[in-house]
Amino acid sequence: MTSTPTGVAAVRATDLSLRYGRTVALRQVSLTMHDGVTGLLGPNGAGKTTLLRILATALLPDDGELTVLGHDPRTAPGRLAVRRRLGYLPQSPGFHPNFTAFEFVDYVAILKELTHRRDRHEEVRRVLATVGLDAQRGKKIKALSGGMRQRVAVAAALVGDPELLILDEPTVGLDPEKRLRFRELIAGLGEGRAVLLSTHQTEDVLMLCRRVVVLDHGTVKFEGPPADLVALAHGRVWTGDVRAEGTLASWRTGTGRYRHIGDPPPGAELLDPTIEDGYLMLVDVTAEEGVPV
Amino acid sequence: MTSPHWHVPDEELRRYADGLLAPPLFWSTDAHLLGCADCRSRLASVADPEPVRAGWARLDGELDAPVPGPVERLLLRLGVADHTARLLAATRVLRRSWLAAVATTLVLTITLAHLAHPVVFLMVAPLLPLVGVAASYGPSADPTYEIALVAPLHSFRLLLLRSVAVLGATSVLSVLASLGLPDYGLRALGWFLPALALTLLSLALTPRLGPVLAAVAVGLGWVVLLAGTLPGHADNAVLFTRGGQVAMALACALTATLLHRLRPAFDVPRRIDRAPNTGAGRMS
Repeated sequence: MTSTPTGVAAVRATDLSLRYGRTVALRQVSLTMHDGVTGLLGPNGAGKTTLLRILATALLPDDGELTVLGHDPRTAPGRLAVRRRLGYLPQSPGFHPNFTAFEFVDYVAILKELTHRRDRHEEVRRVLATVGLDAQRGKKIKALSGGMRQRVAVAAALVGDPELLILDEPTVGLDPEKRLRFRELIAGLGEGRAVLLSTHQTEDVLMLCRRVVVLDHGTVKFEGPPADLVALAHGRVWTGDVRAEGTLASWRTGTGRYRHIGDPPPGAELLDPTIEDGYLMLVDVTAEEGVPV
Repeated sequence: MTSPHWHVPDEELRRYADGLLAPPLFWSTDAHLLGCADCRSRLASVADPEPVRAGWARLDGELDAPVPGPVERLLLRLGVADHTARLLAATRVLRRSWLAAVATTLVLTITLAHLAHPVVFLMVAPLLPLVGVAASYGPSADPTYEIALVAPLHSFRLLLLRSVAVLGATSVLSVLASLGLPDYGLRALGWFLPALALTLLSLALTPRLGPVLAAVAVGLGWVVLLAGTLPGHADNAVLFTRGGQVAMALACALTATLLHRLRPAFDVPRRIDRAPNTGAGRMS
């Protein structure tokens, strides 16, 4: 893999917009990505997957300027150049269940133009070893656990040692232990290449990402280091024994007490904010099902 | 201020295990589980263990080394390059169950042709590759559609490869079925050019309509065309006369040219309809 030269952005997007009929999926989205892991946070329907698909050359924007790895994906030669240096893990990746892990990654390697059998098989073994599935490469996909399947999908994305890796919610459906292992894996992948990680897990962003982009209703609400996202909630996070009305968000935490964001309820104590608090300051989570506000 | 003896209620654990808990309650539960062995242990007891057990049972029976499946082995024996054979092995329509369904349909159609008129077979057989091609490409039919879409191998090439394989497989079965109409002579092969024309037209409409709607539209068009060109008696079915077959050959040439011109449209679709999300990966 040849990483993008220092200072050269892996992705530079300016005022990207996309509509699906009357629905605005993205509205003037601008962002810049360099080497390392960049987190993409946002509630369901915020436009994360649409943005990732555009950056991965699966969709074209209606408007805006876009450069990925130095190429314009709106032209056919530009798309091909990007695709040859891209690794993409779509949301809920699909598998051919009768394939083994080896055969599935081999199939993706062929799609990535690795037609020489011996070289291709060597590459397949390399990426399966990278994700820790060396011993399971002969197992059928349908016999693997959810976490292992996700690793197979990541291995497929890693074929050809891509310079840009786009991962759309890779930790969805994994239990806490598997998510921790996945976190270690992604942290390693971010060394020497640009990784864009879409996630619902604010903790993933804090642990892994140099920068974070918060998307809501198709617009960028924040772009910067995770610490700056945390800082947005300074002096706005409180704890108390009862649920508060009229705050931005109020919910019972793992301690059994209530946590409030916004103006202080009576008798509440000020807390140091977390990245979740900063995120909740920005997005309309009340639209999501089950959020106790 | 913390409450070290506080634990996540069972109902919330169940919703967490089922993926029904929304942020920020999800995050809190998640954070608590990372630090609380008791709750992690209770989580295992409330989660459905069946998929895990079934997975382990299957794991025991699997071989470690990759062995090509029957379709792939057959293609390799026929001299197809190993990378092409692997691409085709992922085509759902080339699996035994699909081919068996095609064979069954042909047997039923031949039976009906004997009971009614041989032209019944010529009318039905062109629809089979149309269905097969529609079921081998696109976000609803191919679980790896999105991965393939952004791969350097052009989507159009993959689509053509699969379409040729599907057309070839159904054609072989249809030729065998044609032997069931010995009295009809070479006219029993009159389905082939319509099959080719319908498949090419369906492919040409795919970038605009999607594979399924394109196949449905072309299939309906075929029915309308048959109804309009089938005068009083089935023996006079003009599409299966020499003149009709020449017209079909011209239609093939026209649709092939149209498809060739439209190939860049397969590179980036207008939209990608989200496939059903079943958690840790979709299967097909």
